[in-house]
Amino acid sequence: MELVDKIFKGERAAIAKAITLVESSKDTDQQISRQLISELIKKPGKSIRVGFSGPPGVGKSTFIESFGSYLVSQNYKLGILAIDPSSQITGGSILGDKTRMVEISKNPNTFIRSTPSRGTLGGISMGTREASIILDAAGYDFIFIETVGVGQSEIVASNLVDIFTLIVGPGSGDELQGIKKGITEYADIFIVNKNDGELKMEASKTAADYKSALSYYKKLDELEKQVLLVSAIEQTGMEDVIKTINQIIDQNKLKGIFDERRADQLEYWIEEEVKNIIASDITNRLTSKGNISKYSEKVMKNEMSMYEAVETITKDTLKQ
Amino acid sequence: MTNKSNNGFNTWQKSFEKETKKNFSDAISETDEGINIKPVYTKEDLENFSFVKKQSLPGQWPYTRGPKASMYTNRPWTIRQYAGFSTAEESNEFYKKNLESGQKGLSVAFDLPTHRGYDSDDDLVMGDVGKAGVAIDTVEDMKILFNNIPLDQMSVSMTMNGAVLPVLASFIVAGEEQGVDRSLLSGTIQNDILKEFMVRNTYIYPPEPSMKIVADIIEFTSKEMPKFNSISISGYHMQEAGADNVLELAYTLADGMEYVRAAMSKGLDVDDFAPRLSFFFAIGTDFFMEIAKLRAARTLWAKIMKDFGAKNERSLILRTHCQTSGVSLTEKDPYNNIIRTSYEALSAILGGTQSLHTNSFDEAIALPTDESARIARNTQLILQNETGVTKTVDPLAGSYFVENLTEELSKKAWDIITEIEELGGMTKAVKAGIPKLKIEESATKKQAKVDSGSRVVVGVNKYKNPKEPSVDVRVIDNNRVRDDQIKKIQAIKESRDTTAVKKALANLTNAAKDETNLLVPCIEAIKLRATVGEVSKALEQVYGRHFAKSLSVSGVYGKHFEGDKEFMKVESKIKEFENVNGRRPRVLVVKMGQDGHDRGAKIVATSFADMGFDVDMGPLFQSPKDVAKDAIENDVHAIGVSTLAAGHKTLVPELMKGLKEIDPKSKIIVFVGGIIPEQDYEFLYENNVSAIFGPGSNIIESAEKVIDLISDNLSKE
Repeated sequence: MELVDKIFKGERAAIAKAITLVESSKDTDQQISRQLISELIKKPGKSIRVGFSGPPGVGKSTFIESFGSYLVSQNYKLGILAIDPSSQITGGSILGDKTRMVEISKNPNTFIRSTPSRGTLGGISMGTREASIILDAAGYDFIFIETVGVGQSEIVASNLVDIFTLIVGPGSGDELQGIKKGITEYADIFIVNKNDGELKMEASKTAADYKSALSYYKKLDELEKQVLLVSAIEQTGMEDVIKTINQIIDQNKLKGIFDERRADQLEYWIEEEVKNIIASDITNRLTSKGNISKYSEKVMKNEMSMYEAVETITKDTLKQ
Repeated sequence: MTNKSNNGFNTWQKSFEKETKKNFSDAISETDEGINIKPVYTKEDLENFSFVKKQSLPGQWPYTRGPKASMYTNRPWTIRQYAGFSTAEESNEFYKKNLESGQKGLSVAFDLPTHRGYDSDDDLVMGDVGKAGVAIDTVEDMKILFNNIPLDQMSVSMTMNGAVLPVLASFIVAGEEQGVDRSLLSGTIQNDILKEFMVRNTYIYPPEPSMKIVADIIEFTSKEMPKFNSISISGYHMQEAGADNVLELAYTLADGMEYVRAAMSKGLDVDDFAPRLSFFFAIGTDFFMEIAKLRAARTLWAKIMKDFGAKNERSLILRTHCQTSGVSLTEKDPYNNIIRTSYEALSAILGGTQSLHTNSFDEAIALPTDESARIARNTQLILQNETGVTKTVDPLAGSYFVENLTEELSKKAWDIITEIEELGGMTKAVKAGIPKLKIEESATKKQAKVDSGSRVVVGVNKYKNPKEPSVDVRVIDNNRVRDDQIKKIQAIKESRDTTAVKKALANLTNAAKDETNLLVPCIEAIKLRATVGEVSKALEQVYGRHFAKSLSVSGVYGKHFEGDKEFMKVESKIKEFENVNGRRPRVLVVKMGQDGHDRGAKIVATSFADMGFDVDMGPLFQSPKDVAKDAIENDVHAIGVSTLAAGHKTLVPELMKGLKEIDPKSKIIVFVGGIIPEQDYEFLYENNVSAIFGPGSNIIESAEKVIDLISDNLSKE
């Protein structure tokens, strides 16, 4: 495939076209993109995939702009996949990431692609995973995947990356309750942004709160969760972030956690995809048979109970 | 209501309903501001006023009827035409001509690089030099600008907000080198940075240091330049960006309050500077609303300043400049603009403005020609000399309708002002992006009303001219202008004392680190021939440059079109496109160069998204090369370039080049919208632009054209 060679050469337009293919809902595009991916994975690159998530308003994009600038100044090549929340009413989106990543978007060593979320959980879809494979093949050192923090989506996003980072703002200590419940399992690094000006005290306090809360959740074989203080607008703390990322990656590689994680993630995606295919198949069968309306009428007339109806429909649907 | 008048009203209402075959309540219409307009007003509508005093006189509290007792009966308003033509030499010629033909004050328009603190030789401003105004790089340019114009006799108004320090410093030094002491200089500098963050985007530094600079200028002028107005608090650009009159009024006054506080924080007494604050409003086509706005503005400001503890009567009085609305001008059937401008001018006069700019009819297309500028000025001369409007002060006082409208506007604006104050004032609100978002929402609603035909614009969506007249416009060769400026900068850099300049700039950088008044070291640097760009960079080292985050509204446009056939047609074309192509049509909407007017781009982005496009919004001030990279990485189908400052002839070909450099086979199509003179159409088409949408284009029709062009282009593959 001509496209494959061009991607390996790092040609910008080819990478962009390939991402369009993997994101496309058209069957023929999907077929091509499957071939494409099978070719690309034969020669894997060396990229580290880093996930960034966090609630709106914590300065996520500003942080990525600031941290990304630091990375490219250190001669790293950086790919960014940003998921933008779609408007649900019409399906059209306004993708505004670029207005927040002005400096790095100009740099020739970056590739920034935003994708409308299309209502999927946190916007992560198979397409995002494939897009990171493309950027990996094209020789990017780091691939950032940026999502909007809406609870569940972090878990999906964390299944795409080697390191998962949660960005929070000063004074978010109150949210610790929620964080205890799940996110510690997924996030490796907590970044407290806005460590500047009037908020400096508050930011340090928040970081301390996180540290003490997280120390209870350390797993035996894992590194301690890291809490870092940064200021995106003053560009401070960026060295710590890259140092910590490299440290965790090195440790995880040494202990085999790095590969183990990628293997687990693969299982996750295979399971997801199989589920998706089965679910859409079942949905098609359900609609074509029209059983639901047929039996709900019976339930309405008290000819059978709802549970009987459910059982009958299920059996009938799975019969084929 | 007394029985007798009640009976009279009932009889009237019956006749009204019989004539119109409508219920009285159905005949009430709602304005953009959310004010109900009744078909008739009576004495009863003067009851329960909280702001407007029923019986007051001009020049008396609360100054609703005018800042002065005699108003135009003593001296008519100042005809002040805003102009700047590329180079200082041309502008100087233009000013001298205008002064000879009866104009009393000067108003300087600067080009965008000057506004944003860049020298003409900076790569970033390639397409912007000399566009939309005059380029000032050093004090030498300023001296040419006022050559043979005695600055102790002529009042000069300067529209400058971003680079206020080097520009005001240049003005002061130019005066001194003409032999005029700074204490004799008169005029106004706009110096209104808050509205830049809301709408016009010609800022340089972040909000806080920008506010410090504003306060420095107020402090300096109040001490050393007693005849100079230190700030012109402007609502004009808000209305131009789509704000309704309540938003314009409320945000402008709230800005004013913030500046008063900034100046007081410098230790100044409110009466030391308040008499030198001035305002600037836009006058649109809503005739009575605009009159009421000026009356309401004076009423509210008097109350606000009293609350600040002002003792001097002059501190309580709002004095304003007005300009007829640029956004009401149309490219279609352009001679209609003369008529629109005339009515707008009359509104401003009946509202009691102190000075006025009337737009030239061709300003929707280009900078005015000598001929169109003459017509614009004559509009005011006819009002002053032929109509008799100067003979009576505030002739509409006592009108049930106008008085009621003044009160209604005051009330609504006061509610918003109170809200902003509760948020902690305008700087905070601006940082949070609230006013910007509200203005964009209002703009999108207005556009939707025009596109859906519920608002008539003559010659645009109704009564179209079958034979569009062709109009001669002013053509600027901006490459020549830029080359000339670069030569001048080089010559100055070679002849000046470089060591002294460096030292002065270092002093300025140091001064920015503490509370020193920055105008003083600025004047020193400018005297030594430091450039506007160098001075701006010296401060940038401490303050940084501000980049705005862009928030967008959605759903506002689409809401006006529920069930609209044309709208649904585009929606279904997009759905079909998605089925065929596996994704929605994707469009990158951009502004290039230093032009910060993003109302058009924003409206296009939100309305296209409402119809179903995926829209990438580019940041402001992008170079064509950056746009090309963005477009290719996101694999967009089309790029929409919004242009209002005439940079397109340089920037669009650069964009095309940029696309081909990254991807020689690029199939991305480019369309251009905004202010584009017809003379440029051929040039743009020759450069492979696929479509051009002038001002007043219907957005739904434009969207349909774009989706068709994209589909055609893809089927060619």
